[in-house]
Amino acid sequence: MKSLDVFFNCREQVIEEWVNAIFNTYPLQSTGFLRTVKDPFTNPVADMTREAARTVYEAVSGWDKKPEDVKQAIDRFVHLRAVQAMLPSQGIMVFYLLKPIMRKHVLPKLKDQALQDYLDAESRLDTIVLMAFDIYMKSRETVAENRIREIKNQHAQLVRWAQRVGGSPLEQEGKS
Amino acid sequence: MAKLPTPEELVASRPEFPAQSWFDYKPKFEAGSYCYPAQKPTMELMHMPNPHDWDPAADDWNLPENWKEILCDAFADRLAKHRSLKLFMDICVRCGACADKCHFFLGTNDPKNMPVLRVELLRSLYRRDYTLLGKILGKTIGARELDYDIVKELFFYAYQCTECRRCSLFCPYGIDTAEITAIVRELLHEVGLGIHWIMDPVKNCSLTGNHLGIKPHSYKEIVEMLADDCEDIVGIRPKTPFNERGHEILFICPSGDVFADPGIYTFMGYLILFNELDLDYTLSTYASEGGNFGSFTTFNMAKKLNAKMYAEAERLGCKWILGGECGHMWRVINQYMDTYNGPTPAHMQTPVSPITGTVFENAASTKMVHIAEFEADLIKHGKLNLDPSRNDDLVCTWHDSCNPARAMGLLDEPRYVLKHVVNKFYEMPENTIRENTFCCGAGSGLNTEEIMELRMRSGMPRGNALRYVQQKYGVNRMCCVCAIDRATLPPLANYWAPGVTVSGLTELVANALVCKGEPKRTMNLRQEDLPHLDEEEQGE
Ligand code: SF4
Ligand code: SF4
Repeated sequence: MKSLDVFFNCREQVIEEWVNAIFNTYPLQSTGFLRTVKDPFTNPVADMTREAARTVYEAVSGWDKKPEDVKQAIDRFVHLRAVQAMLPSQGIMVFYLLKPIMRKHVLPKLKDQALQDYLDAESRLDTIVLMAFDIYMKSRETVAENRIREIKNQHAQLVRWAQRVGGSPLEQEGKS
Repeated sequence: MAKLPTPEELVASRPEFPAQSWFDYKPKFEAGSYCYPAQKPTMELMHMPNPHDWDPAADDWNLPENWKEILCDAFADRLAKHRSLKLFMDICVRCGACADKCHFFLGTNDPKNMPVLRVELLRSLYRRDYTLLGKILGKTIGARELDYDIVKELFFYAYQCTECRRCSLFCPYGIDTAEITAIVRELLHEVGLGIHWIMDPVKNCSLTGNHLGIKPHSYKEIVEMLADDCEDIVGIRPKTPFNERGHEILFICPSGDVFADPGIYTFMGYLILFNELDLDYTLSTYASEGGNFGSFTTFNMAKKLNAKMYAEAERLGCKWILGGECGHMWRVINQYMDTYNGPTPAHMQTPVSPITGTVFENAASTKMVHIAEFEADLIKHGKLNLDPSRNDDLVCTWHDSCNPARAMGLLDEPRYVLKHVVNKFYEMPENTIRENTFCCGAGSGLNTEEIMELRMRSGMPRGNALRYVQQKYGVNRMCCVCAIDRATLPPLANYWAPGVTVSGLTELVANALVCKGEPKRTMNLRQEDLPHLDEEEQGE
């Protein structure tokens, strides 16, 4: 059996375990809801986690995936983790929770000569984590930028008005 | 070599939870998750009880010595005053139907943000003092005695509820967590705990009439400046009647529409529309604020700030009030105004549209009509000459702001108006709109920048639905009738659905409105080129 098939055959089990491992990082009382409610709008956290997990696992397995598609699939998930109350390391490290699960389910089923295939898969995960890191940083910058823009917007007209009062150097602005 | 933690160890963020019951888990006051405290001079000026300096992140909140007694007495007083509160304390069966309906819970996954547990924080105190079983069995039935940490916990979670009422929709008993949050905030104010972002507007509104504390002459000049902008765009300068007696209508809107982007375009829309209708109306510098941040502090403060609407209508002799696109202002008007400050001054009359003759029976007691109702009625009677193609650069969706939607049932009028002024409109998913709408995540005075992280979490369910229609239909504009939303949705969209902009309804009405005698319009209210201009030029 080709390595890719081994990855494929364990897919549902690995993804489910990984998603649950991510849910388990949230308080106990919340995980039941995260696990059971399937609607993407009434349980968005589970939806974005599942979306990310599926695409990431497929990309890690070695399926043909464009970097753009992977980014798109993890975008919501990383945006969420970038603003939830946790350390940056905790935000990102959930990707690495995939490794022990793959080592449990995939690695033993691979033939010896396929070890390189497995190592390649883990390296692909490392690449995805770096992509996630970029999105994470961008998200944090957006939060900071939002703060600045908001403060500016609140008083936008006051500043404009203050510049007009008493005559602005700009002729057309100083007519009040 | 020291042992490095494994990834599993690094992400383990709930070590305390299985070991401790939720009762014992204490909130962490970390930057980004709590609002700055109200300043002592502000609290003094507003005659709030026990004003003092304090820091939410500090261990000691400098509460007055007898804080426990004050809080217990205040709680007893509110229980006697509001029968609903007592009922809400007693009847919850902890069925959990509300648990996953709150956007704060969905975004934070913090169990205490489940509405049922949010209220349980207060209910546990109630159980201990007001139920026989609680007195005898104590903790085993979820009763506990008030302590310092519980005060902190109440503060933490009362300011992680936007009083949006989504949860109450799903409660079989109709328990209104928003009302309970409002009362918890009121209790906390008794021991001098309030937040700056709410108390500062309250002070400004009390002293000068609007949230930013802009003096009347400056307020008027800013409005004149916006009227100049209207002239640049439409070619006609709208009237700006201020504090004039004897007009039929007093118009009141949130001051955010005058000072803040993108609210100003909505305000310009009002001016252009009223001018086109030759409406017999006046603005007021005294009642220059529709918003009522008092309603986020105490009932008495809300009543005081609300009173000026009728007082001004009386002083100026207006027959009825037309209200702009504000959120919580309408909650106050629809649910409380009558009890606070009613009955209306004797000369006021049930509103009648001077253009269509429609009698607004629904406003017979408050004498106040929502601008969206007013506009929908005009359109229904064919009184507006509209060219929706002027908004063809926009693919719109509609955000039902919590207060107009859930506190007054304003669901169809704004959609009716919107569909007549734009050609491209798509709804967000069904379970996120109308009564089920998700809050912007920052209502009830939580629209302050120091909690931007928290707002991005709590606004996530809204942002998530927006992102869906953005990707599916190419939506690039989210419209709403709430000034707080016009301030809070732009950062939310920028985070969850970058590329979507936000506007009020009347901005789009005025874009589409073909005014009598206007020269050919080339710009929209944001002074951007109108769509189809190139095509027309080529055609000429
Ligand atoms: S009123 Fe809104 S914010 Fe408050 S608990 Fe209910 S759903 Fe949550
Ligand atoms: S839905 Fe109502 S009765 Fe059920 S837990 Fe929530 S507040 Fe209590």
